[in-house]
Amino acid sequence: MTPNMTSCRAIQPDLVATATGDAVPGAEARVQQHVAACAPCRRELDRYRSIDRIVGDIRRAPVAGDRADVVRGDLEYRLAELRRRAVTCRMWLSPLGPILIAKSEQGVVLVEYLDSERGVAASRLLRRAGVEIIEDGTETEAFYQQILEYLAGERTRLAWPLDLRLAGSDFQREVLQATAALPYGAVTSYARLAREIGRPTATRAVAQALRRNPLPIVVPCHRVVGGTGALTGYAGDKLALKERLLTLEGVPVAHARRHQHIVRDHMYVRADHDTEYCVPTCGSLSTLPLWRLTLFGSRDRAESAGLAPCTSCRPDLHPISA
Amino acid sequence: MGGEPFEAVMSAHHAEIYRYLRRVTFRSAEAEDLSQETFLRAFRAYRELPPDANVRAWLFAIATNLFRNSLRAAKRRRAAHDIVKGRGREHDGDGPEGAARFNEARAAVEAVIDGLPAKQRAAFVMRKVHELPYETIAKSLDCSVDSARAHVFQAFRKIRTSLDDAQLPPAEGSA
Repeated sequence: MTPNMTSCRAIQPDLVATATGDAVPGAEARVQQHVAACAPCRRELDRYRSIDRIVGDIRRAPVAGDRADVVRGDLEYRLAELRRRAVTCRMWLSPLGPILIAKSEQGVVLVEYLDSERGVAASRLLRRAGVEIIEDGTETEAFYQQILEYLAGERTRLAWPLDLRLAGSDFQREVLQATAALPYGAVTSYARLAREIGRPTATRAVAQALRRNPLPIVVPCHRVVGGTGALTGYAGDKLALKERLLTLEGVPVAHARRHQHIVRDHMYVRADHDTEYCVPTCGSLSTLPLWRLTLFGSRDRAESAGLAPCTSCRPDLHPISA
Repeated sequence: MGGEPFEAVMSAHHAEIYRYLRRVTFRSAEAEDLSQETFLRAFRAYRELPPDANVRAWLFAIATNLFRNSLRAAKRRRAAHDIVKGRGREHDGDGPEGAARFNEARAAVEAVIDGLPAKQRAAFVMRKVHELPYETIAKSLDCSVDSARAHVFQAFRKIRTSLDDAQLPPAEGSA
């Protein structure tokens, strides 16, 4: 052994690395220098080369009983399940406060007014079994933007794909579907909705179903009021939001004795399923109960809903005076 | 979110991850579970992966983590004795006569690999079977590149000391 040469012990890592194709720069030269003068280490180098060949053989050999394809098939099934359950969601800040928007593969599942302190942790999604929550905003950002446009008065339609899986029953699903058909700026009553879905005595149940509406704003339960025109309730204790949304859509709201109500006298009226709309004083309209009426804040709104001006009261010639 | 659809990630990497787990675990059912879990986790986290991320390295890291966690869980359950060390692997026949000695050596090497501590085994299989760079191995094992190299070196040393010279066929080009 020459005096400057690395010791046999110290050269070992480099020797193994050289034999197995893993040498760092400079190692190979050190090893060559060492083995040129050290026969035992030269033999070690050869042995490690042999081992590396065996390892190469193991690398090329198939895994015994390879079931990759079967496992992949099972995995695809489980992934499909996961995708069905997966809901991506994100909390967004809006003029109405923090709002959670959640979407599944089928469509928007949930729009939820959140408590600003607890955030997503308070979401009803977390209390739902069988939902796989993925916090991510990429799929809901466009919906959030549309809500902002709607709240700024720049958008009157939210034509979103909806997923009603959070509806607790077929009944609630029906109520939500009927409510989703209410046009912008229109107001109807719980009693009328109950009749629309063929359950004329289920007024209270309809109100309850809407109280738990998983899709406020887009399923516009704010357009549904009590039989007296009182706003009644909204998303638990958020009656002020209901007033705000109605006002945004041009529906006149007044306060009287600690409760808010729509001002029926200042709204255009559609009775039952007429194809025309009238001023509220047309014929006997003012005596009809709310469950027979749909009300509109303006002529524009009534006409956007596809209605023509009544040929007797002529709201187009004699609009409601402000 | 990762650059390509998750289906493409599955097609590109599932078989390799499955085989990696088959090589480092002792029961094929466990490897199957872990490989599925690897991709279910990856699916959940995929949208947060930067588009330019090394997906293969990322999947190996998830798989390695799950593998090590499963070992810890097994230890906690005191089920370690269920693991049969050095169980013989199945081979696809011995091949031609001349290869018999080589196959014997291979079986011996595989037995040593099976007996390695988990970190060394994972590092060795990642490096020598899947040919991953040491940086990736270090990340998977949550250790330094030097440690990753040391794990592989130790594995080779153990293989070397467990084989006698008679089991080693001469290397090509050796004197």
